[in-house]
Amino acid sequence: MQHTEEHLEHTEPPVDIKRQIWRTFWILFALTIIDIAIYFYFIGHKSMTKNITFIFLGVVKAFFIVGVFMHMKFERKWLPYLIITPMLFVIYLITLMVIEGNYTSFVR
Amino acid sequence: MSDTAALTFLKKVPWGGGKSPFSITYGKLMMWIFLLSDAFTFSSLLVSYGFIRHSYASNKETPWPSPDHVFNHFPFLHGVHLPLMFVSMMTFILIFSSVTMVLAVEAGHRMAKKEVAIYMFLTILGGIGFLSCQAWEWTQFITGTHEGRVLADGSIFHGANLIKNEYGPTPFGDLFFIVTGFHGFHVFSGVVINFIIFGNILAGTYQKRGHYEMVEKVGLYWHFVDLVWVFVFTFYYLI
Repeated sequence: MQHTEEHLEHTEPPVDIKRQIWRTFWILFALTIIDIAIYFYFIGHKSMTKNITFIFLGVVKAFFIVGVFMHMKFERKWLPYLIITPMLFVIYLITLMVIEGNYTSFVR
Repeated sequence: MSDTAALTFLKKVPWGGGKSPFSITYGKLMMWIFLLSDAFTFSSLLVSYGFIRHSYASNKETPWPSPDHVFNHFPFLHGVHLPLMFVSMMTFILIFSSVTMVLAVEAGHRMAKKEVAIYMFLTILGGIGFLSCQAWEWTQFITGTHEGRVLADGSIFHGANLIKNEYGPTPFGDLFFIVTGFHGFHVFSGVVINFIIFGNILAGTYQKRGHYEMVEKVGLYWHFVDLVWVFVFTFYYLI
């Protein structure tokens, strides 16, 4: 046990893992820059396409954070199923409540 | 097939018993379940935000304010119209602290105590930086602009509280306080937990234990806080 620890202590950091971490960081950075660019280019405009683009970019960022940073990509496939399936129902709830909100606004 | 052979077969399939079908430790699995429940809480807040915002869609008296007219301040640049810049900076701080966290986890796999401590310290600094930015943002929001808003009785109201605000309808201020406040509380508790883990790293607790799994668990929590901010940023500031 002691020997193994000693051995591990002196190993060099695995290059591919570090490279993957930094690559993910630059992807997240670029996606946020794209977010800001779209925001400033269409400032003041209200459009559904713009909103859907922002939400899509948010989901892509979430995919990279959960997949790489939280290591979900490399776990057994049951774990993603367990965590992601309930969240699909949340998307359904969001859709319902936005429709309901528009209806409330219409009734008022 | 004899009984022993059947048992050997069962132990090989994921749900056959005798081992975790997820092949992770129970602590990490429970952290995932907790994060799922926490995701529900944040979803409920964002769902109610979507509902209330859309229910003001055709309200002409107190229209829902556009974020670029509310969150357009930057420290030391008083009076300059800079929408989104400060919040973007906060986003980058949080993403960067997430990177240092995952580097701490990576160093933990190699049992490199010194590196784990350094990266953990940087993560704590990032968290404190984010919280300071949020404190400034809240102060700005509560103090309000110089112009303020003229109320129905002729008086001028500056800033925001839970009953009224100068930006738009009451729920706008309330939702700002509850959504960013609840997220900020998560960042705060994350910083506290990170600090405890940092102390344990320095004391050599995990070195003696033989693994740095605690760092991985708080790492999961910290990345989740970053993840939530991605959506708060999208729904509250961009859209």
